[in-house]
Amino acid sequence: MSTLSAVKTKRNWQRSFVPSVFGVIAVAIATAVESHLPGGELRAISTIFMFIALSQAWNIIGGFTGYASFGQVVFFGMGGYFTAVVMLKWQFTFWLALPLSGLFAAAFAVIIGVPLLRLKGHYFAIATLGMAEGMREVVINLPDLTGGGAGISVPIAGKFAKTEYLGDNGFYFLFLALAIFSIIIGTIVSRNKFGYGLRAIHQNEDAAAAVGINTVRSKVIAYAISAFMTGMVGAGYVFQQVTIFPERLFDVEITVLMIMMVVIGGSGTVVGPLLGALGLQFISEYLREHFTSMHTFILGGIIILAVILIPQGAVNYLREGRRTKNYSLLANIRRYRL
Amino acid sequence: MSNAPILETRGLGRRFGALDAVSDVSFSVPAGQILGVIGPNGAGKSTFINLVTGHIKPTSGKVLIDGKDMTGASPWTVARAGVARTFQIVKPFSGMTVRENIAVGVLYKAQGSNRMSAALNEADQILHEVGLAGFGDRMPSELSTADVRRLEFAKALASRPRLLLLDEVMAGLRPTEIEPSLELIRKLKASGTTVIVVEHVMKAIVAVSDRVLVLAQGKVLMEGAPREVLANPKVIEVYLGHRYAKRQKGNE
Amino acid sequence: MDTFLQVTSYGLLQGGLLALVAVGFSLVWGIMNIVNLCHGAFVILGAYIAWEMQSWIGVDPFLGMFVSAAVLFCLGYVIQRYLINLIVNGPVFITLLLTFGINMILIQGMNLLFTADFRSIQTSYGSNSFELGNIRIPLVRLLAFLLAIIITFLLVAFVKRTRTGISIMATGMDRGAARLMGIRARHVYALTFGISAALAGMAGTMIASIETFDPSKAGKFTLMAFVVAVLGGLGNMYGALVGGLLMGLVQAWAGQYLSGTWVNAIAFLVLIIVLIFKPNGLVGKAFYAARVEI
Repeated sequence: MSTLSAVKTKRNWQRSFVPSVFGVIAVAIATAVESHLPGGELRAISTIFMFIALSQAWNIIGGFTGYASFGQVVFFGMGGYFTAVVMLKWQFTFWLALPLSGLFAAAFAVIIGVPLLRLKGHYFAIATLGMAEGMREVVINLPDLTGGGAGISVPIAGKFAKTEYLGDNGFYFLFLALAIFSIIIGTIVSRNKFGYGLRAIHQNEDAAAAVGINTVRSKVIAYAISAFMTGMVGAGYVFQQVTIFPERLFDVEITVLMIMMVVIGGSGTVVGPLLGALGLQFISEYLREHFTSMHTFILGGIIILAVILIPQGAVNYLREGRRTKNYSLLANIRRYRL
Repeated sequence: MSNAPILETRGLGRRFGALDAVSDVSFSVPAGQILGVIGPNGAGKSTFINLVTGHIKPTSGKVLIDGKDMTGASPWTVARAGVARTFQIVKPFSGMTVRENIAVGVLYKAQGSNRMSAALNEADQILHEVGLAGFGDRMPSELSTADVRRLEFAKALASRPRLLLLDEVMAGLRPTEIEPSLELIRKLKASGTTVIVVEHVMKAIVAVSDRVLVLAQGKVLMEGAPREVLANPKVIEVYLGHRYAKRQKGNE
Repeated sequence: MDTFLQVTSYGLLQGGLLALVAVGFSLVWGIMNIVNLCHGAFVILGAYIAWEMQSWIGVDPFLGMFVSAAVLFCLGYVIQRYLINLIVNGPVFITLLLTFGINMILIQGMNLLFTADFRSIQTSYGSNSFELGNIRIPLVRLLAFLLAIIITFLLVAFVKRTRTGISIMATGMDRGAARLMGIRARHVYALTFGISAALAGMAGTMIASIETFDPSKAGKFTLMAFVVAVLGGLGNMYGALVGGLLMGLVQAWAGQYLSGTWVNAIAFLVLIIVLIFKPNGLVGKAFYAARVEI
């Protein structure tokens, strides 16, 4: 028995050590190349970091807990608008607005989460979608507070500007920090008791409740954590864009991109959404440059192929393949088909 | 240790629309006893378990665990009070290994630790007790029917419960597979666990129960010592039908 | 009072049309537990086909409707049989993603083929209307409304009386048992989806005769279909009718008595309230449980 635990501890140590080393190296590279990249590239990579953070956040409620939030962008928008409003109306600094936006989004998640998380499957997905669309309309209809359909601008010059505009370099590091933060949170959740509870809820909610997991509380906390992360990313986005409109901040396409990255990369893992974000953003940028008019068309095709061929996502597919020594794609298709 | 029975129900009932799945069920189980619950299909046995464990809320009556009112409590509250159960249609955590399946229960029991490694070790021990040693790294989908039922049993043992409700754990098992389960139940009783066994397999009920409760059409038909209950003509009638009972009577 | 009656009748007429948009969506969801995110694209595609029919051959939309239905039936059948059937047993978001991907392709395809400008179908009787007391009822809207009602009743009859219809219902209730009885589930699923697409196409044709359309409107119709289907109870055809009428009324009244875009917000509010309090719909029973028991 003692040799078994010794072997296990060594394996655990390897599990934590190797990815951490990779992570540190990756961050070092990212920091080093920063000064050599032109503005356009910096912005493109910032967007990748942004989506890394967003997909990690979605993974917590959608991947681990299995509640596919199709309205996740609502937290992006709420966080973003919170920052815009407090910076404009009450001259908050960005650094104060950032965490508060996260908290604001998390509070909102708790309020809507309690009723919505009682719904299952499709119902939860579309209820959250309806919530996101509805909040966009609410924002449009409160022009005195939010500028309504005409948009709102964060002050970056003059006496209202409390924080200096970060510029391409600054935002590069801001989003990098948010991405690192989100990966750390994702890893912590994945490894600890809470994460196992979420997985149990996902894989069999009745059994989870029967072994003592407070499923209501766990789901709401997971939702709030993912909202917190998403809200902060929204705040960063708003500061970067300066002028924002409801259609963009609550755009369902942002949610869909998040979900695609997680699903294609491998939901329920930490590495999966990371790879998914990197991969999909590169593909999307490439398509946008070289096939501008057909870009959505091809992206749609990629989604379809990915979902049919590797529905469990790349990382899960590889892990299972390594375990069962079976990499057959045909078997993969057979698994879910009628 | 209080003198209250570990489980007591008073007038427990659950109505679904016009159907009284369970009605006016009152009984109590003293700590350390093995209670067998039998009844024909549709008698409300599974509903009864769900009412006790909080998976379904009763529409009437009370559930008291250790003298405390737990009527309508949520399943996790009941679990934390030291109650565990198995499901008739097994509910494993499909994406986790067998060991992890049990470890989750260890993590989340009342005063459970937060450390995964300790939970995994405890899980290994439980695997040993139910006869699944060596299966720890398998996935539930890879297990045979008998083994997956053992896993279900093991998951219920994870929290070292004081009251264990077994919902037809013997169903579909061969005789050689039933005996180890009976042994396990006897060992549990010896260590002070109260066990409620809902079963169809009469041999098992007779072999292991201290008392037997008979449910029919949602109500308590009778309660008593195993041999007595099983020989009772009303019980036979409820299982085998009115005509059979008449024929038996005619043969006497 | 007159305004109220005018707005109410307008709402009912619009509601009938919404019901037609939703009834196919509800059928697919109820029978196959598939939420079809490209349903709105089918609607718009139906509109385009009818428009093209009219501009090439001068066919009246109420006849061109049948062409739309035929084309969309085939498209729907193929999509279900060779794409969606491949992931039917997978988790929720896989189906949603797949239909979303198909939606992206259809919308972009229409943008490329037909360009994104606004169109509508003009007919010689397009501006006719008649008076009922002090209320003005546009002829085309009334025709569309009546057609929607008739088609819904025909669909119910089809599903209850014909052999094909019954096999669809059976497959929806218990796929395993249906297959054991010899029903080819893959084909039945494809048939159901095809019918749903055809109905969407017909609805699209009528919408094209009433308002302007363009590819970007597709999402709105999908969401509308969702709300109406949930209101009426999944798989419940009459429920879709009731849900559609209700939604039409709510939107008409909201449009009249509340400012601008609150109308959209109201739709979502209604959706969420229904989902939380009566997930099985106002009228009927759903095939699949919406709520977690705990």
